[in-house]
Amino acid sequence: MNDAPRGALQRAAQSLQRIEEWLLAILVLVLVALAGAQIILRNFFDTGLAWADPALRVLVVWTAMLGALAAVRDDKHIAIDVLQRFLPPRAQRVARAVAFGFAALICAAMAWFTLGLVGIDYGDATSGAAKTIAGMPAWLLECILPVGFALMALRFALRSFAPPAHVPELLHDPGVSSP
Amino acid sequence: MIALLVTGALILLAALGAPLFALIAAIALYGFHASGQPGTAVAIEFYRLADMPALIAIPLFTLAGYLLAESQAPRRLVRLTNALFGWLPGGLAIVSICACALFTAFTGATGVTLVALGAVLYPALRQSHYGERFSLGLLTSSGSLGLLLVPSMPLILYGVVAQQFHTTPPISIEGLFWAGLLPCLLMIVVLSLYSMWHARGLPRPPPSSAGEVWAAFKDAIWELPLPFLILIGIFSGRLAASEAAAATALYVLIVTVLIRREIKLVELPRVIREAMLLVGAILIVLGFSLALTNWLIDADVPESLFAWLQSGIASKLGFLLALNAFLLVFGMLLEGFPAIIILVPLVLPIALHYGVNPTHLGIIFLANLQIGIFLPPAGMNLFIASARFGKPATSIIRACLPFYAILLACVLIITYWPELSLALAR
Repeated sequence: MNDAPRGALQRAAQSLQRIEEWLLAILVLVLVALAGAQIILRNFFDTGLAWADPALRVLVVWTAMLGALAAVRDDKHIAIDVLQRFLPPRAQRVARAVAFGFAALICAAMAWFTLGLVGIDYGDATSGAAKTIAGMPAWLLECILPVGFALMALRFALRSFAPPAHVPELLHDPGVSSP
Repeated sequence: MIALLVTGALILLAALGAPLFALIAAIALYGFHASGQPGTAVAIEFYRLADMPALIAIPLFTLAGYLLAESQAPRRLVRLTNALFGWLPGGLAIVSICACALFTAFTGATGVTLVALGAVLYPALRQSHYGERFSLGLLTSSGSLGLLLVPSMPLILYGVVAQQFHTTPPISIEGLFWAGLLPCLLMIVVLSLYSMWHARGLPRPPPSSAGEVWAAFKDAIWELPLPFLILIGIFSGRLAASEAAAATALYVLIVTVLIRREIKLVELPRVIREAMLLVGAILIVLGFSLALTNWLIDADVPESLFAWLQSGIASKLGFLLALNAFLLVFGMLLEGFPAIIILVPLVLPIALHYGVNPTHLGIIFLANLQIGIFLPPAGMNLFIASARFGKPATSIIRACLPFYAILLACVLIITYWPELSLALAR
């Protein structure tokens, strides 16, 4: 196995992860700031930004998709994993490969179908019947769906061969000191 | 025949640990295909996530909860409640119950409460001579306490899902918050009484000095306004749930990152990621279940289920009893959130036929799920507690036995006494 391209691939994957992390953080901070600004405007100045409410709803979808993408990496998607706990290690590996392979297929299908949705709204936009949210065309905001699902499909496919992730529940875990 | 094969394949995949959202998406895609609709229709249903204003509350409250969990807030909460109530008989156990309930109300994630507060409370309980078995059972069962307490995220989720059905009487998230108060209080009081009885022989610490109470109070000065901000905001009708969530998130963000600096700015993206992981995992299930629900209703599934049920169960009482058993099992298998998302669309129309008030149904749902979450053999919190306290799951189950009995009794009271939930909600 040649190490150089593998290292490059790993670096690419790592920088993609960092972009994903920062994008998610920025979107969430914008969500908090915008929602906070709306309350202050409404309660103290009796006004509000007309575009903010639809923009907030779109932001929720973006953060949800990026969160779901991150959840694939940490094996944090909700699943009924009772049986897996009791399987021998080899069978566990097979079960993971099958379960995650299936998830990859579904995500790939959804990437295709959501691309269809983007296509419909893009068609509307070019024919002049454009929907816009906060000045941005609806089809552009919907792009997170096909992009998100496609990346999830890719990541599920990769995860199906990787060992399970063991991620602690908290970053700053104080641990239990024995009494 | 094909439907049978698909069902078999999906059950097998579920057992192998396939993500729930993928299973639901597969059913929705298959169902839409079978009724002659294109896959894009599923995509359009999924994107209805962007048409639900109340959903905004979910990422915001979750973020606030994770920020609090990662900061020193759990320690300060325990210190303050201990200074106030520690001298009571069973005082520290009552402190544990209240602190856990408050914390879960904020995070909505019972596992996080178990991890964050368990770390502080378990050694404290053991030091105060509480038995190992009692301490383990108390903390494991208190972890999910607070699901009924404002502003719990599962309660919001129930409201969001149930509002799709335009029930009479209508469901409001504020109404659910009111409805959850007394049932949650009932569980806290009954657990506290049991703890007092259990701790009757233990040495009691002297009441905290006025100095310690004041110091603990000052220590928690930034967190103290939070419950009032939320309670007054929501119950005065001044803030909608989503606005209260925004105010909370903004406040907690400023306090933990800028004022107390317990979460460094460079760590913030990772904490945000932790919180959004949970949000993403829940909302993606919700998105596909919107599509599935639509198809289920088109195919008259709830109606035929009701017709089938009615042949066996005639009374409302019988229905509620069956519902309790059903919810306990699914709460155990599915954790709390997905159980709400998947089961509410099926159960709500049927419950309405039996004359159950939809707001009361929400409280019944969460009260059952709260127990299901740590019910053997598959309840998630059993495994989290086992990892947290370094004890085998079987010891945790044994430790929880009296608590199952107590909480089950509470659930029966909550189920068969609708007024307890509805008295405040009106």
